[in-house]
Amino acid sequence: MSDTPKMIFVNLPVADLARSMAFYEAIGFTNEPRFTDDTAAAMVWSETIFVMILTHDKWKSFTDRPIADSGSSEVSLALALGSKEAVDAMAEAAAKAGGTSDINPVQDHGFMYGRDILDPDGHVWGPFWMDPAVANGEAPVPETAA
Amino acid sequence: MPQMIFVNLPVTDLEKSKAFYEAVGATNNPAFTDDTAACMVVAEGSIHVMLLTHAKWATFTSKTIPDAHTAAQVLLCVSADSRDAVNGQVDKAVAAGGKADPTPTQDHGFMYGRSFEDPDGHIWEVMWMDPTAIPAGEPAEAAA
Repeated sequence: MSDTPKMIFVNLPVADLARSMAFYEAIGFTNEPRFTDDTAAAMVWSETIFVMILTHDKWKSFTDRPIADSGSSEVSLALALGSKEAVDAMAEAAAKAGGTSDINPVQDHGFMYGRDILDPDGHVWGPFWMDPAVANGEAPVPETAA
Repeated sequence: MPQMIFVNLPVTDLEKSKAFYEAVGATNNPAFTDDTAACMVVAEGSIHVMLLTHAKWATFTSKTIPDAHTAAQVLLCVSADSRDAVNGQVDKAVAAGGKADPTPTQDHGFMYGRSFEDPDGHIWEVMWMDPTAIPAGEPAEAAA
């Protein structure tokens, strides 16, 4: 077994790299300059979770698949946060930084609270909070979740 | 509280996709699985994939689902411990009905990456990087 924790890099194409760097910094990511140039920027969420934002030209060097229309959605990316207030803070920061907050109805199930936001290119993020007792399996998932 | 990400992906056949993700090394978490969605644990406490039926997906968003075989909005990349582990994971994906190498193999010596496609066309890259080749410590340390 490895002593290196598994890492994930979410690669997203963006139309304006500087604008997207500013957006991701505004919602709580930290830029890693050692993996950033004028075609791509590494944005750090945690020691194992990274977002790589790529210019469209850079994206094309990785795949010949065209970028799906922003009216469609291949993926939504949910981030677990420590409190409902942190969820609200991220949604508000997104709206102020050129994103869109609450593209979907706010989900408030008591034990779980989530809001969905768009980055400037239309990529969907879902910051959410879940009662740690439910998340850890110490309490059952309430029936209302279904 | 550990930082966790849940990558939500729409899938056409939940059972088939569950089997596929188990074959490539993820573990199902039954507490967050029913007949509309399945929680697949890639790294306990940090990286999870939520597979959602199209009907379930539609309850979350009015955005349409693009055909991931012909267009992409994301390339998901996970780290592996060695070059052999990279090849092994791609082999497992192929054995389980996925497709190998939808993107070019990247071989830079200190870094080696390949990719596979899940049954719905979502692309996963698997990458190994020589830890001693990363300049000035790991990114995580620089971020702390």
